[in-house]
Amino acid sequence: MKSKRSAVNFLIYTLLFALAAVFLAPIFIILLNSVKSNFYISDSPFSIPSGESFAGIQNFIKGFTQSDFLQAFLNSAFITVFSVGGIVLLTSMTAWYIVRVSGRLTKIIYYLFVFSMIVPFQMVMYTMTYYAFELGLNNRLGIILIYIGFGAGLSVFMFSGFIKSIPKEIEEAATIDGCSPIKTFFLVVFPILKPTAITVAILNAMWIWNDYLLPYLVLGSGKSRTLPVAVQMALTGGYGNKDMGALMAMLVLAIVPIIIFYLFCQKYIIKGVVAGAVKG
Amino acid sequence: MATIKFTDVVKSFDNGKVTVIPNLSLEIADKEFVVLVGPSGCGKSTTLRMIAGLEDITSGELYIDDKKVNDIPPKDRDIAMVFQSYALYPHMTVYKNMAFALKLKKMPKDEIDKKVRWAAKILDIEPYLDRKPRALSGGQRQRVALGRAMVRNPKVFLLDEPLSNLDAKLRTEMRSQITSLHQRLQTTFVYVTHDQTEAMTMADRIVVMDKGVIQQFDTPQILYNEPANMFVAGFIGSPQMNFIDASVVKDNGLKILFSGYEIPAPKEKKEYLEDYIGKDIVLGIRPEHFLSAEEAKSEKDCCTMTVKTEIAEMTGSETNIYFELGGKRHIARIKAEKKICSGDCVKLAFRSTSAHFFDKDTKMSIG
Ligand SMILES: Nc1ncnc2c1ncn2[C@@H]1O[C@H](COP(=O)(O)OP(=O)(O)OP(=O)(O)O)[C@@H](O)[C@H]1O
Ligand SMILES: [Mg+2]
Repeated sequence: MKSKRSAVNFLIYTLLFALAAVFLAPIFIILLNSVKSNFYISDSPFSIPSGESFAGIQNFIKGFTQSDFLQAFLNSAFITVFSVGGIVLLTSMTAWYIVRVSGRLTKIIYYLFVFSMIVPFQMVMYTMTYYAFELGLNNRLGIILIYIGFGAGLSVFMFSGFIKSIPKEIEEAATIDGCSPIKTFFLVVFPILKPTAITVAILNAMWIWNDYLLPYLVLGSGKSRTLPVAVQMALTGGYGNKDMGALMAMLVLAIVPIIIFYLFCQKYIIKGVVAGAVKG
Repeated sequence: MATIKFTDVVKSFDNGKVTVIPNLSLEIADKEFVVLVGPSGCGKSTTLRMIAGLEDITSGELYIDDKKVNDIPPKDRDIAMVFQSYALYPHMTVYKNMAFALKLKKMPKDEIDKKVRWAAKILDIEPYLDRKPRALSGGQRQRVALGRAMVRNPKVFLLDEPLSNLDAKLRTEMRSQITSLHQRLQTTFVYVTHDQTEAMTMADRIVVMDKGVIQQFDTPQILYNEPANMFVAGFIGSPQMNFIDASVVKDNGLKILFSGYEIPAPKEKKEYLEDYIGKDIVLGIRPEHFLSAEEAKSEKDCCTMTVKTEIAEMTGSETNIYFELGGKRHIARIKAEKKICSGDCVKLAFRSTSAHFFDKDTKMSIG
């Protein structure tokens, strides 16, 4: 009985490890090649760097200095940070209002948000780009507004789901204790929402940081281009030989911040923060 | 100093579609411990929440300390509320939960600290000040909720079924703690419960409500001894008062007939019962007012009946006997000398003076 179960477990784990290996392989290969010199990248892309194939951090230096990498990195960081901040702040407030002020209007607003979630980006991409240019949103500040719009649907949906589970009495207690609605939100509701806020932040940060199409359409490949666009340009741009080593290093540098952000936030996602507030 | 006065208060929801409180007038004295009781959905919480300012008043006036508060927001009413679900702030420690209101008032830190520690000491929650609510037991959370209200030193304390989530033993304990808290704080308490035992043991005066209407507002003793109507009579006291259909006849003196038995009308009720000669009334007897045959021997003006026990429950010193009379099941609680079993025939008696009489149509008490 017991050995049978452990055999099953062993099988499941083997399968999971195999799957994980398959999914992680591309990232691993990029990591490997980012420290190999150019010749060996095309010659033997899967070999472990050693001896003469090992290039140290040379690729990183090249990648960093090349093709305005730093500028693109800062663009991406600026856009991601402020879009995510805006989304978390604005949609949590919106969701709170929608849930707590019941009525036909708030219901309609809620369904509009949910609807915006299921409309595929490709469907609105051209009209959106057109209006973005018309309204002068084709710059780093403007695209933040667009991202807030695109991120709002899912975020409002997630926040309102969670807010519904917060007992209204907690907010009423705050009212009696002397909070205005604004204070109630920032001192009581938002701290309770923290786990959801972090989940929303991670989801949006990953998407916005990695997004290629929207910044390509709105910001183009000029000075305000984002990291994915810059990487893509380095890959296809220019004639003659591409510096594959530098490219690999750029990819690594592009992935690292979002992984750090994820690891940093993960520990804050504690389930059931409301536990203990009410009878439970 | 805090009196609370409702004058002709009406409360409806959904733009007047649902009227929960049709007309409420009520005066609560300073430093009084008033308990609102009534069945579920009768509007107790709504009444309390109107005092707190969490519900708008549809019409009528509400005064706290002779000041009309209809349009005054909760934070300016100088009240504190303890919720049934405790409603502690889950992200704050016990200390911060209690200090929150004071911090909002911009009270100096050392003064806040003094107040919080004072409350924590009284409520015996000092060891938990640095914990989050989720790491506390139900009883401890309840005390934190009380503490959060106490530190504010409010004019009025509002409590909405604060003990209903606790187990029986803890409830008894907290009941006396709240009573002594009331004595210590010397403020007005308005306490909502649907548990009549809580109401009887804690209240100076009890408001019995049904369907948003006050049935009676008086001291526990008067509510028990002189219920205004059948609703109050049935609601106060446990087990419930027995209601038996009866009629009044004049035959060799005024008599009450029921299920083949008769009792003489008690002297003090005679003149009121005269109006009911030939009419049906309802006779009410509290289970604990039944006497065993032994006890009844030395009594006069006693009615003795023989009933068949359906179920007998031993509750220690007393026995609950369930029996049928006039097609309805009734309960008697007597001191039984020997063990009574289901199916046994027992003699039960009651004094005519301990009987209550009600008008069958209006359900109002006679006399
Ligand atoms: N926001 C609301 N909208 C519509 N009806 C409401 C609302 N709040 C309460 N009610 C109704 O008002 C009535 C009284 O409610 P209330 O909460 O005061 O009852 P209660 O006496 O406290 O009952 P319980 O003992 O179950 O807590 C109920 O019938 C309830 O359905
Ligand atoms: Mg209630």
